[in-house]
Amino acid sequence: MNRRRILAGILSVGLLGFLALFLPFLHKNPEPTSSSGQPLAQSPSETVNSRAESEPPAIPTPVVVAKAASRPPAPQSSAALPDIDPHKAFGSKNAPVTMEVFSDYQCPACKTLFTTTNRRLMDDYVSNGKVYLIHRDFPLPMHAHSRVAARYARAAALLGKVEPVEQALFQNQEKWEQNGDVDGTVAAVLSPAEMTKVRALVKGGTLDPMIDKDYNLGQTYRVNQTPTTVFHCKGQTYPYSGVMTYDILKTFLDQLLSQR
Amino acid sequence: MDLRQETNNMMQSSPLNARRAIIWIGRLVLAGIFIYAGYAKLTMGMRPRPPIGVALSFFALQVDSYQMLPTWGVNFVAHTLPFAEVILGLLLLLGIGLRIWATIISLIILGFFGAVLRAYLLHMNINCGCFATPEPVTLKKVFEDGALAALAILMTVFAFIEARKPHPWTAPEKA
Repeated sequence: MNRRRILAGILSVGLLGFLALFLPFLHKNPEPTSSSGQPLAQSPSETVNSRAESEPPAIPTPVVVAKAASRPPAPQSSAALPDIDPHKAFGSKNAPVTMEVFSDYQCPACKTLFTTTNRRLMDDYVSNGKVYLIHRDFPLPMHAHSRVAARYARAAALLGKVEPVEQALFQNQEKWEQNGDVDGTVAAVLSPAEMTKVRALVKGGTLDPMIDKDYNLGQTYRVNQTPTTVFHCKGQTYPYSGVMTYDILKTFLDQLLSQR
Repeated sequence: MDLRQETNNMMQSSPLNARRAIIWIGRLVLAGIFIYAGYAKLTMGMRPRPPIGVALSFFALQVDSYQMLPTWGVNFVAHTLPFAEVILGLLLLLGIGLRIWATIISLIILGFFGAVLRAYLLHMNINCGCFATPEPVTLKKVFEDGALAALAILMTVFAFIEARKPHPWTAPEKA
């Protein structure tokens, strides 16, 4: 081989090494912005009625709300995670893996995640203490009824009825998304007495601060779409956006659990 | 010999004609991106570095989010692509067997471009999984991948053309 070619190759490696030193600095955290480029400074509760999506996507897809950025801070254990509502958290607090799922009841991809993956995850990992699953509300401002749905789900959670209500909301998503009848959807799975309590809680106005806490926490994690799942294990944080196939998720969880 | 012909001859014999310059730019840029992308997938940009199994299975989640492959295909891509990127990047940089590696890299980049374009057209709004940091699939990302694919194809075509000619730096054969 020609000597000059070898020299040029060595110079190239040197140049790339130099570039590699600076590449990590190119991934600076941008300010969170909406998909239209507007800053998300407005409180989510103020923008509930601003519907931005004109037509539903062809397949269930996550919804982008802000530009992605670098990794969020890493809490050491589930005890270090802020504002965990015990009514919306499942499994053992001492589980080696914690999953925070930022979800929107009106988002089609969240429905897919709930219906295809959640049940098996609960059976195989949450119920036996391997995973602590925390549901976080992240009602996107572009969805007209998602905050209302989050209020009803929160109220039901306070009565210990979160599972049937979440199931009803996701399974009937297309119906209440069209007519806005969240109340009727929830009423179908609760007794009249429970429904009276739920309505009182929803009207009481005490639920919005709880939802806002979750939403604000999502912003600190730089959640940019729903569903976003933040995994915590051994002091490290793994944020993932999108739907997860159960088999692939299982492999990842097994890898996390096998860490020493 | 007139001036124009002389200039043409000089350009042809120069080690820095346009084709060779594009080959060099392509090699440097694509090798850099491939090595960095493979390294970022294997380390996830974290300190301390997570175990390799965790990094690869997390990358499998990213591959799966494109909803293009069956489970075995997702696992195959996730467990081979990061290593392949690093190795192909190094081979491209060294320039030995350039035509082979340039062709393979062009095909891989065309695959990336197709996947990103499909995700964009279907409004999937997933993270692209290209590097360690989450990057949504946007029109900008589609253009970036398109530009890289164009560069890779140009580099490959020019590498084939240049290979037919004697290298300008090699000594002329004795008669």
